[in-house]
Amino acid sequence: MLILISCLLLFVTALTLIILRVLQPTARYTWLVAASGGILSLLSVFLWLTQMPFEFVLPAWQPVSLFATPILFRADEISWPFSISIAALTLATVLTASARPVFVNDFAWMGALALGGVGILAVTADNPLTLLLVWAFLDLTELLTQLRSVDGKANNEKVVISFSTRAFGLALLLWANIVSAGEGSTVNFQSMSASSGLFLVAAAGLRLGVFPLHLPYSSESTLRRGFGTSLRLISAASSMVVLAHTPVESLNSIITPFLITLALIASVYGGWMWLRAPDELNGRPYWIISLVSLSMVSALSGNPTGVIAWGCALILVGGALFLTSVQITWLNRVMLISVWSLSTLPFSLTASAWLGRLGIFTPFVIATQALTVAGFIRHVVRPPERELLDTQPGWARAVYPTGIFLLIIMQVTLGLIGWNGALQVGAWLQALIASLLTFGLVWATPRFRILNPIRAHWVTSTASRLNGIYQGFWTLYRVLARLSQAIIVTLEGEGGIMWTLLFLALFVSILTQGSP
Amino acid sequence: MSAPLLWIVVPFLGGVLILLLLRERYSAWAGGALSAVLALIALIFPIDTALLLGTVSLKISPSIQFFGRSFEFAKADGPLLAIIYGVAALWFFGTEASGTANRFVSLGLMIVSLLTASIAVEPFLFAALLLEIAAMLVIPLLVPMYQKPGRGVVRFLIYQTLAMPFILFSGWMLAGVEASPGDLGTTTQAGTMLGLGFAFLLAVFPLYNWIPMLMEESSPYATGFLLWALPTFTVVFALGFLDRYTWLRTTPQLASAIQFAGIVMVASGGIFASLQRHIGRMLGYATIAETGLLILIMGLRSSEIVNLTFLILIPRGLALAVWALALSIIKRKSYSLLFSEVQGLARSYPITVAALILAHLSMAGFPLLAGFPARLAIWQELAGQSLSTTVWVFVGMLGLLVAAIRTLAVFVMVEEQKWGINESWVQIAMLGLGVIGLFILGMFPQILQPFLADLPSLFNRLGQ
Repeated sequence: MLILISCLLLFVTALTLIILRVLQPTARYTWLVAASGGILSLLSVFLWLTQMPFEFVLPAWQPVSLFATPILFRADEISWPFSISIAALTLATVLTASARPVFVNDFAWMGALALGGVGILAVTADNPLTLLLVWAFLDLTELLTQLRSVDGKANNEKVVISFSTRAFGLALLLWANIVSAGEGSTVNFQSMSASSGLFLVAAAGLRLGVFPLHLPYSSESTLRRGFGTSLRLISAASSMVVLAHTPVESLNSIITPFLITLALIASVYGGWMWLRAPDELNGRPYWIISLVSLSMVSALSGNPTGVIAWGCALILVGGALFLTSVQITWLNRVMLISVWSLSTLPFSLTASAWLGRLGIFTPFVIATQALTVAGFIRHVVRPPERELLDTQPGWARAVYPTGIFLLIIMQVTLGLIGWNGALQVGAWLQALIASLLTFGLVWATPRFRILNPIRAHWVTSTASRLNGIYQGFWTLYRVLARLSQAIIVTLEGEGGIMWTLLFLALFVSILTQGSP
Repeated sequence: MSAPLLWIVVPFLGGVLILLLLRERYSAWAGGALSAVLALIALIFPIDTALLLGTVSLKISPSIQFFGRSFEFAKADGPLLAIIYGVAALWFFGTEASGTANRFVSLGLMIVSLLTASIAVEPFLFAALLLEIAAMLVIPLLVPMYQKPGRGVVRFLIYQTLAMPFILFSGWMLAGVEASPGDLGTTTQAGTMLGLGFAFLLAVFPLYNWIPMLMEESSPYATGFLLWALPTFTVVFALGFLDRYTWLRTTPQLASAIQFAGIVMVASGGIFASLQRHIGRMLGYATIAETGLLILIMGLRSSEIVNLTFLILIPRGLALAVWALALSIIKRKSYSLLFSEVQGLARSYPITVAALILAHLSMAGFPLLAGFPARLAIWQELAGQSLSTTVWVFVGMLGLLVAAIRTLAVFVMVEEQKWGINESWVQIAMLGLGVIGLFILGMFPQILQPFLADLPSLFNRLGQ
């Protein structure tokens, strides 16, 4: 029930804002309403710790003989860290909105609150059916908001292609569910069959842009800081949670090393482009690619706790950076605490990240981690030109940094309490090497031209027609279209009925061959 | 009042009166209201059960004799009639928004009443005749007055007409099979005849080419109605056969043939839909894929055949109505449903486009939408029997998903243009209600349970 309360707090607050916007468009206390809803929701997620693990089951679909799987949400050591991170991000989005140039009862606040609620539902979903429904909701919401916010033929096409990749991710999750159902186990993720495990990984990989490597989100969208950050990070986290549920037995497959290689290629690419991105918002897709690839490597190496660690880092560390829209020197320095969170050093948020069997992949993982952390440091210490907070009213000057600070506090807190990955020493030697490499990269960045910011060139967003894989699919599609056109012209033409009857006679003769 | 009078004669006469007396403006409301009232009566008043309303006792008698033939409705037919007339009401209310002529409502009512008669008639083989008469009544619905019928219409009539002798002939042979069940030769012949009859009626591959042709040359709304009504009643008719003749259910070859036909339809329907450049033809192929699903269900070795069938049929009626209505609105604007003609319409007709895409996604089994629960149940049922069959069904649905995404891409591909709503309020209301319905059925399929709970008793032996 607590899951429902936390989500309802966010949904009801969003609904209240809508009502206020209609009835009292000039009301000045709407931000307070939004912030109160966010605070209460965050506190309620903390309350989960008193009862965990617990479940929330919605009334079953009927007839029960057909729908054995209920819609089930579960608060446990996997879902709680994700949920608290999402609740914190939602509150931080509202708090930092106080420093935005246009400060009114904005649809972005309602969107962020509602999205937070859906995000919590997604990460607590305890079986494929439940997750399918929440993913579908997120995908349709994102499609709608993106289509409303972009202009131009090419950008609209990119939005549709993004939607299509996520829809195919949904199809893969559904297939994992079908495979599991065929073997008689569908009630929850814990009881899913081993043979469905790799489909789960592939589903998450496709939605997150790792298998095959592509950027699922366009960077040209006007949805930038507030709602845009929530949408990107929560959407990614909702897909990452699947990785934490992957049955460990399924990773003994022969293709696991191949998948790890693909994930590492994506993560190195993401880390490299993130390091060289001109600013943090343009680099955001690469930040996501980099961290989700690292989490995928964790999952494939048999360490689901690592997925949670990278997922929380994605939301909390990324949230702190992407929500920063105002120049405050001391806050920039405080944000460097997040470097600790990303370091995988003992007792940090990501300390449990590398507890799996990495083997020969270890050097690449270290390199990726170093690129990602160095990129983060670069974007924090060399921010682009931002506005100053001096022009804002006094209360906004106090509230805005609180939002960023909240996310940093959460990173430190999660490293210490509440879940399996807390208070871990982890792979400290690996972390140390990664940290040294990070500082080397930070030192080298201003000194070597190759590390200077440029724009992406060889992998663009999903719309890229130059990508060989997509070009191959397109060619196959055109061949099939010509073939189908030939069949259709034959069957629908003047002699169509004769051809049809001929086909029919052929089928009947084939089918009756097996009869007595 | 007898049930056949109420649900066969009254709507037929209603259709005639609407055709003769009412103007186009009022026909949609009159036809829709009549259907809705008939659906409510079917839902509230049980057949052949006395109800006391104060001092008045009401009882709807179950049967009527007509030229030596009997038309009968059992108590369990109530939910089925409620579904039929409820969905028909949706179609009739939508006619004003679609801009279809008043002949649609009047002929539609007559067609529905004839098709309803087909599930009530005894001996039940006479249903084939009623289906044929209904198919003939569809012609004026599809062909505008003083216009030459297109190739699709002619082909539709040919195939439906060919179905009738096969069904009647198989009925005669089935009597022989019942008399001597050990005669395998007769059994095979009867099975083949019956299979051919239903292949023509249900437009099994390769007999379905009239469907996309009709979608191209006729009104999308009228064709959509036809694609809802005929397969729905034919499937109920087919279930009756399966229920009556034990050997039909227990012959493994027949079950395999039925499954094979279903798989071919689902896969080919989905794949062909994904390769179309005409959004009307896409609807045609989507209905083919869905009919394939219904056929596939009939071939399952499961006690859930009836539940699965009706779990598909109800959302199908809604999704098809929304999709066909959206197509009608678009066709009135662009005169053609080719990709090149409808490109960029999302910004000028956002509600229509959204409804069309959601209806399409629903037929593809996208989660949250009406078609999803039924498909999930089918997949789970199939996965337990054959994973290879499931793969083909999955491929078919992926084809429909690709088609939906291509359509969406075409609709939104436009250079700078402001968003604007050009639909009328009636169109917005009808499409809006339809879309809400799609979401409600997708998220809470249990609301269909009052309709579904008693339906298995219509086909007692199928549930065993």
